[in-house]
Amino acid sequence: MCDYHLYVLIMTPIIVVCDFYHSKDRLIFFSCTIFFVLMKQATFYVNGKKHSIMVGNHEMLSDVIRNKIGLTGTKEGCSQGSCGACTVFVNNEAVLSCITPALRYDGATITTIEGIANAEGLHRLQEKFVEKGAIQCGFCTPGMLMTALDFLNHNPNPTIDEIKMALSGNLCRCTGYKKIIEAVAEYVKEKQFNSYGIPATIIQLHEVKQRSVGIGRPYIEATKKAQGLADYADDYQIKDALHVKFLRSIYPHAKIDKIETEDALGLFGVRYIATGSEIPVTFGVLPISQDETAMAIDKTRYIGEIVAAVAADTEEIAEEACKLIKVKYSRIKEYLTIDDSINDIGANEKIHEYGKFNNNIHKKAELRFGNQDEGLKEAEVVSKMSFGFEGINHGFTEPHAATAFWDENGLTIITATQVTHYLQRALAKTMQVPLSRVRVIKPYVGGGFGGKGDPFPHEIIIAHIARKVRKPVRVCLTREEVFITNHGRHPSRMTISLGADKKGFLKVLDADIAIDGGAYGSFGVVTSYYNGVLLQAPYKLDNFGFKTIRVYTNKPQCGAMRGHGAVNSRFAVESLIDDIAAKINMDPIELRMKNFLDSNTLTVGHYRITSNGSRESIQKVAEQSDWINKHGQLEYGHGLGVGCGFFISGSALPIIWNELPQSTVHLKVDFDGRVLVTSGANDIGQGSDTMLAIIVAEVLGINMDKIFVLAADTLLTPVDLGSYSSRVTFMAGNAAKNASENLKTEIANAISLKTSIPADELIFSDDRIYSNDKSVDLAWLEAIDIVTANRGAVSVSGKYISPKLGGDFKGAGAGLSPSYSFGACVAEVKVDIKTGHVKIVNVWGAHDCGKALNPLAVEGQLEGSWHMGMGQAMSEEMKYYNGLLVNNNFLDYKIPTSLDTPNIHSNIIETIDPEGPFGAKECGEGALHPVLPAIANAIYDAVGIRITKLPIKSEDVLELIKQKEAIKH
Amino acid sequence: MIAEKKYLKPSTIAEAIKFANDFIDDFCFVAGGTDVLVNKFQGNKDISCLIDISNIPELKKVSVLKDKLNIGALTTLESLKQHDIIEERFPALLIAAQEVASPMLRKTATIGGNVLCENRCSFYNQSEWWREAIGYCLKCEGDICIATGGKKACFSKFVSDTAPVLISLGAKIELMDINGCKTVDLESIYTGDGIKPRNVPETAILKNIILPLDIHFKVIFKKLRPRQAVDFTSLTTAVSLSSNGNLRLVVGGCDPKPVVIDGSIDGNLEEYIKKALAKSRVVDNDYYSRKYRRDMMKLFLEESVNELLK
Repeated sequence: MCDYHLYVLIMTPIIVVCDFYHSKDRLIFFSCTIFFVLMKQATFYVNGKKHSIMVGNHEMLSDVIRNKIGLTGTKEGCSQGSCGACTVFVNNEAVLSCITPALRYDGATITTIEGIANAEGLHRLQEKFVEKGAIQCGFCTPGMLMTALDFLNHNPNPTIDEIKMALSGNLCRCTGYKKIIEAVAEYVKEKQFNSYGIPATIIQLHEVKQRSVGIGRPYIEATKKAQGLADYADDYQIKDALHVKFLRSIYPHAKIDKIETEDALGLFGVRYIATGSEIPVTFGVLPISQDETAMAIDKTRYIGEIVAAVAADTEEIAEEACKLIKVKYSRIKEYLTIDDSINDIGANEKIHEYGKFNNNIHKKAELRFGNQDEGLKEAEVVSKMSFGFEGINHGFTEPHAATAFWDENGLTIITATQVTHYLQRALAKTMQVPLSRVRVIKPYVGGGFGGKGDPFPHEIIIAHIARKVRKPVRVCLTREEVFITNHGRHPSRMTISLGADKKGFLKVLDADIAIDGGAYGSFGVVTSYYNGVLLQAPYKLDNFGFKTIRVYTNKPQCGAMRGHGAVNSRFAVESLIDDIAAKINMDPIELRMKNFLDSNTLTVGHYRITSNGSRESIQKVAEQSDWINKHGQLEYGHGLGVGCGFFISGSALPIIWNELPQSTVHLKVDFDGRVLVTSGANDIGQGSDTMLAIIVAEVLGINMDKIFVLAADTLLTPVDLGSYSSRVTFMAGNAAKNASENLKTEIANAISLKTSIPADELIFSDDRIYSNDKSVDLAWLEAIDIVTANRGAVSVSGKYISPKLGGDFKGAGAGLSPSYSFGACVAEVKVDIKTGHVKIVNVWGAHDCGKALNPLAVEGQLEGSWHMGMGQAMSEEMKYYNGLLVNNNFLDYKIPTSLDTPNIHSNIIETIDPEGPFGAKECGEGALHPVLPAIANAIYDAVGIRITKLPIKSEDVLELIKQKEAIKH
Repeated sequence: MIAEKKYLKPSTIAEAIKFANDFIDDFCFVAGGTDVLVNKFQGNKDISCLIDISNIPELKKVSVLKDKLNIGALTTLESLKQHDIIEERFPALLIAAQEVASPMLRKTATIGGNVLCENRCSFYNQSEWWREAIGYCLKCEGDICIATGGKKACFSKFVSDTAPVLISLGAKIELMDINGCKTVDLESIYTGDGIKPRNVPETAILKNIILPLDIHFKVIFKKLRPRQAVDFTSLTTAVSLSSNGNLRLVVGGCDPKPVVIDGSIDGNLEEYIKKALAKSRVVDNDYYSRKYRRDMMKLFLEESVNELLK
């Protein structure tokens, strides 16, 4: 520890801080740090505690609160006041701390989220957020709560519309705002009742009556998130860590001739500068696309690719040093569009060297079943249309962040990731160390949606630098960097033909698809297949074929995003179905009902369909929306549309072929009766930790408070492949169920041995284990005494291995899943025919999730999916100018606010899947698919125009309306 | 070498002006800071001295002086509605203020800051690195306007939502600098040059916005933007009809300055709208296309005029 600092004012802009230490009674001058930036002593009374600290003259309040005072409950999501995550109270009024100079409020009283709960417990609004399921990833929660509290201080009796308005500057990407608004509204209502003397109902959060499965409950960590106490990657303060900043390419395609780092290295506080050649090993999430290095080595392939990384004592110094690095580039021809990349490139250089052809095609995927030509001949009505889709970013609110360090155990990295397992593999490969020397820890993660599902350059770079400098190294990307890192939904275009007979039976589907992959492979090979294969359901099709081409372009890479691969092609097909229905004058719901696949059947491409709630889903939304009386019958400009979809419930095949189970879950019970669940599954806000606890509680018949979940730490938890392809509930859930059953057997056997009651006659329920005749009737702890006697803690393992599925042809593995989810949406829109503006009034959604293990969480997933789908449909797009992303922030990338979100009516359809845990299957991705075409089809119902381009811009709608009217006249 | 950073908190207008003159060429006034600070982070403004004027009580008053309403420049957009006289006499101003950004930003953002808000462009409001990659546009010391594909003029958008309403109400502003106080028409401070969109002396403080109480107005305000919150304007129109029969059309978001067309209730209304369209130099630097914004400008103005005449 430093004994004291001596501040020496040398000249106005520089302070030299000399740190002195004692050693054997001698005073040793130890270190000397120069501050270029003048600082001032400031005092803040934060949550009742006085802090007198040195504050930078241009330092923002969020930085002081998070990094100097250490209250990391205040989050920073955009650094420009567009997302609201940083909201705190200053002198009892809310401010956005990321754009508030700290010195403005020298001497002020500040309340952060950590100061909202008191010794008596959570604030009632925090409790409401918890109870209502308003908290998913939890990253927006502190800001959302602070904003709501401030608003309620000024307006204690608001209407729902006023609540929506009040929260419209706080971005949430998980919930679709519905449960947040409900939480605030219910709080208000309760307060109003209370003022008339009626006591509030207190809901016990851990109350379990008989069963665990099927009871809606908050996430197990929800109260922690509500208080700002959950630590996300950038909240970890590992001592003595260096900060890393990146120098990024300014050219889309350029040879790197020279990188000069001398000037930057000379800057005081710079500790290391890494360049590409130091980490030459390639990586990528798929074994077949190991095409990326952590930094560009010989050439850069997109604007924003990392060229050098600076590690320094502070972020500011690292940033300044980046500006001092000189890179000499020689530009080469860039390829920015699908057309550029499909064509022969002549004597120019390809983006990647491999590949047989002289173009930039990365992957061609084609599968054909039946005979499409015959099918087209047979069809009495054919609809053929071309569609175009812009790229979409995940828009999770927590930016990528990580800290890495090396010690006697090798590398440890704490990082915001969805795939600890694949990251462990990528780090071992790129660092060239055994897998056993890599520990990946996933802290709380502020949303992923596929965007944290690859190993990332920044993770590899900080691991490398940490090894070089023998110090912890941290990084937190800016929002601009998050957008440039991308891995989002592919921009795509497609031409699809769909044919049917006049009775409405679908005869043929043929799709020709091209997707723009950006500079690297990522999940792209899978995306290429998913665009096609995921069209073979939910309708029966005998003549089905597709061809997808994925190209490399000199833009940030695309990868997996919620609803992976099939969102755009699903939009196209559902639009075509609507068109055919119109052509044969049939209700589009009736047409769909005629064509749905049954349960327990095979698709043309050999997908095994087990449970299938398509019919129930569409009937539910038809009934709720009063479809029969409204569709085709509303006034001009007002319409209803329907869309359907389906999705895999976990990929049956692992990304890296091996014989490990897809999921393994360990349980340990010790003398204290607590069951420790360890699982490699990555909870990124979707609630998988809670799901595991529910399953274990259900099988063992015990209360949730006896269960502790430790997840996603590659040292401590068994392998789970990660949170992608909507696999966790089905696979990790089944593994947890299997493990719980194994533990139950262990306990039952031990009791049976002691009591002579057969093990299979013992009932586990209500925290007790008993026989029907009550000759055995043990409390949980008494049972644990028996099973641990002379043995100690009992550990068991459970696993999930997918059954062998699929056909015997190349490409048969794509989209195989042990189960599929199904769903439908009806959207109601109003189109302003003078401006082309489309307002979504209502969305009714229904999704077959097999069995809702936690209905509250399932609703949250569905509402979040629908909201995200609406964003893509209505306003979101990644706009490029010469390969440079133009809208790289939350102001210009248009995620719908609470005011842009319509009424969402959520319906859970339960079909009890035969192989899912307690019948459950996925609910986090598939629900997204139907909502986009439902909106487009509603616009058709309203004004008779077909939408073939997303996002649906007012100007395009207006133009189409004009064209249609011109034809009419 | 990183430049010295200063942060000054004057408590009077005189002190603020003195600081400004002390650090002339390298300072920036910060009121709410919601615009200035974001621009500063992005390196749009490389400034070492921030003069935070948010704590000057003289700038926060709303008062009636004879037949004038003085709105102190530091009145936040949110707090405008606390003044009955504004609600009673200038409801369109409240509507416009409520359409700016998001509720949390409106609590900090001031009306003075809003009328002096820096012009915006997709190619300018970007990080230093981004602007280097695109090749720096005119507004950041480059050679050409990128939005127009190479023109030698800057077309950054004027984005204030309150200013069009204020101009439609014939607002004046009171500016103070080292030479004293002067009152000018709000409209007159906008130059139309996207690079330097306002001709207010750098060291001057906007003290008051002055609205006439002796004339009555009816104003129709409209705003186009992709989302119902957060977004800057793609097109703002404010059309006023005064008790003495004057019609004023003001358009924001479509030119480097607010486009103002004066006419009378008995004049050729179509002609006024045509003039507004002709005067607006709309370019493709927005979420919506140039064409659509022009079409909507025509529609908004037509609708507004019709509503006023109803």
